[in-house]
Amino acid sequence: MVPLVAFQVLSAALFAIGLYGVMARRSAVLIVMSIELMLNAVNINLIAAASHLDGMGKWANFDGQIIAIFIITVAAAEVGLGMAIILRMYRNRSTVNVDEINLMKW
Amino acid sequence: MVWAWLIPVLSFAAVPLIILFGKRLPGKGSPLAILAILAGFAIFWVVFAGFLSASPDTDGCEIGVGTEALTCNFQITWFEAGIPGADTKNHDRIEVAWGMTVDPLTVAMLGLATFVALMVQIYSLGYMHGDPRIDWYYAFHALFIASMLTLVLADNFLLLYVAWELVGLCSYLLIGFWHERPEPREAAKKAFIVTRIGDVGLLVGILLLWSQVGSFSMSETFAAVESGVLSDGVITVSALLLFLGAMGKSAQFPFHVWLPDAMEGPTPVSALIHAATMVAAGVYLVARAFPLFSASDTAMLVVATIGLITALGAATIALVATDLKRILAYSTISHLGLMMLSLGAFGYTAAIFHLLAHGFAKALLFLGAGSVMHSTDELDVREMGGLRKVMPVTAILFSIGALSLGGIPILAGFWSKDEILVAVNKELPVIFIVLTLLTALLSALYMARAMFVVFYGRFAEHFEHVHDAPKTMSITMGLLAVFAIVFGLVALDLPGPFKGIGYFIFYHEGHGLELVAWLAGLSTVLAIVAFVYAYLAYARKSINLEGTRGTFGWALKVAENKYYLDEVYQWTVDRVVLSFSRFIAWVDRALVNDVGINGPGDVTRVLGDRLKYHVTGYVYTYALAMALGLVGLAIFWWLVSR
Repeated sequence: MVPLVAFQVLSAALFAIGLYGVMARRSAVLIVMSIELMLNAVNINLIAAASHLDGMGKWANFDGQIIAIFIITVAAAEVGLGMAIILRMYRNRSTVNVDEINLMKW
Repeated sequence: MVWAWLIPVLSFAAVPLIILFGKRLPGKGSPLAILAILAGFAIFWVVFAGFLSASPDTDGCEIGVGTEALTCNFQITWFEAGIPGADTKNHDRIEVAWGMTVDPLTVAMLGLATFVALMVQIYSLGYMHGDPRIDWYYAFHALFIASMLTLVLADNFLLLYVAWELVGLCSYLLIGFWHERPEPREAAKKAFIVTRIGDVGLLVGILLLWSQVGSFSMSETFAAVESGVLSDGVITVSALLLFLGAMGKSAQFPFHVWLPDAMEGPTPVSALIHAATMVAAGVYLVARAFPLFSASDTAMLVVATIGLITALGAATIALVATDLKRILAYSTISHLGLMMLSLGAFGYTAAIFHLLAHGFAKALLFLGAGSVMHSTDELDVREMGGLRKVMPVTAILFSIGALSLGGIPILAGFWSKDEILVAVNKELPVIFIVLTLLTALLSALYMARAMFVVFYGRFAEHFEHVHDAPKTMSITMGLLAVFAIVFGLVALDLPGPFKGIGYFIFYHEGHGLELVAWLAGLSTVLAIVAFVYAYLAYARKSINLEGTRGTFGWALKVAENKYYLDEVYQWTVDRVVLSFSRFIAWVDRALVNDVGINGPGDVTRVLGDRLKYHVTGYVYTYALAMALGLVGLAIFWWLVSR
């Protein structure tokens, strides 16, 4: 059986890659993709922990899996919303480069 | 007697009626004010008769604490505050009554105030004829007399203080009645501010007494004084504080400076407010609080000394003043000083007697001066002379007032002045009686000067076409003149139930007329010498005054400049008051406003200015902040859960 720590390392690596992507990428589409990466890192973490801690036997705990399914649902909605925003952004400013979109200040 | 409250209330009621409907009423509402005070005068006689027939057994009446005279109190609770049912002595509860007291002092003041007010208001019909704002004039007059009567009827210090400020307000309004000219405006402000300095003392004194006694009631305060509840220090301090108020109102040195300027008001106002009634309120206050004053030797000595300084100083200024109304104003100050002196010498009866006699005579003199001014439009006595040719009635009536006030025997002023001399001679060191006699001489001299310069001597030709006073003015002056002549006779033990004023207005025990032969003789001689000298010097011009003028040049200059007191005040205001005010203004501007109010605002704005640069608008900055925050939170949790 693969030890739990391997999943956690994978999850942490994925999360870090996603975080790096959010901060380093300039394209809004890639940022949304990086966010997806981070969400999936969380999913892996949750499922691994859930199945490892008391995934055996008749009274298995499915909390982690349930939350993961919720996250997948929310992530899908989020992508839909995010892509819609990016589409509007592109229509308005003909770019999806976040460096050129800094209206959110004083 | 219970109806005494109606006297001020009638005049109070006239005020809003005149203000609201005056323009549409006949005579612009003036008959309303006159009717109110006429009814008040009638009720005064009812009250007087009721009081004479009252005894200590009558409802509400008792032998007064302190004065030992018959005192009748009628009161309703005005307001209460604090813990219900608690003891007022501990200040857990405060109870203020709207009450009035009727005792000999009140009756005397009621009589003087209603009578002089009635005369002055009728006189004003002639004097103020054709003035566009006559409705306001009569409204102010009605308000004044209502407040004045409330003042003398008040049975507690708080009500007295309210009335005290109201008469001050009316004085201000009436001095500045002709506010189109700058002088009355300035004079009104000066009067208001100078008297207010004293009023602060009065208020503090009243509150000090309340803090010690637990009540504003005068009778309870005097009972506390008699029973020794109050310490000597409290009695002295509170008496002196009350006297500060009396000094402001009664124009005592050094607060007398407002009264001569107050002559800018219409002359009937000067007669009523600044000669007979309001300025006497200070004397009245000291007399009313006499149980308090007489319990402190220091306070009595201060009252006597201030009175003497005022009397003598003002008399010397009156001697050299050239404005007829200002001569009378300084004469008023001088006589108010004599009343204070008399009170300080335990001459309670003498002071009130002189207050009444002086009130009648001085009101008459002012109305006479008003008549002269009405006809000639001139107040400088140097421009006048021999006016009896064209205004015989005014001349005779003015002369009666001058002779009465100058202390010529049989006339009212002689008796009251003599009573004061007796009291001063009995109670005070010899220097006081010497200076009082000097004041009496000067008083006769300046009255004689005013009378002879204006009405006798060589006729000033440019007043050829001047007419005498109209009927409303001469009749009222005549009635006042009757009192100026015969009022002194109340000092005598006449046949009938009235045994002389000494048995009516007294402190502790009644006494008959006291005549000290040498004093009466000396004061008579002084008065006659003064009048004869003035006749020779001013009317016949057989004594040349230029020589005297040369010898006493510097003294004349000092007196003519009113002892430079106005300049001292101006200097004090400019250098001390204004400097202090500027300092306070600086504290307000620099500390309170700039630091206290604007300070937090400025700090917030500058901080915002500096801190706004961390809000870049780039999404990754926010993402970084979120990530760092998350890490921070994780570290925090880790540390906490360890």
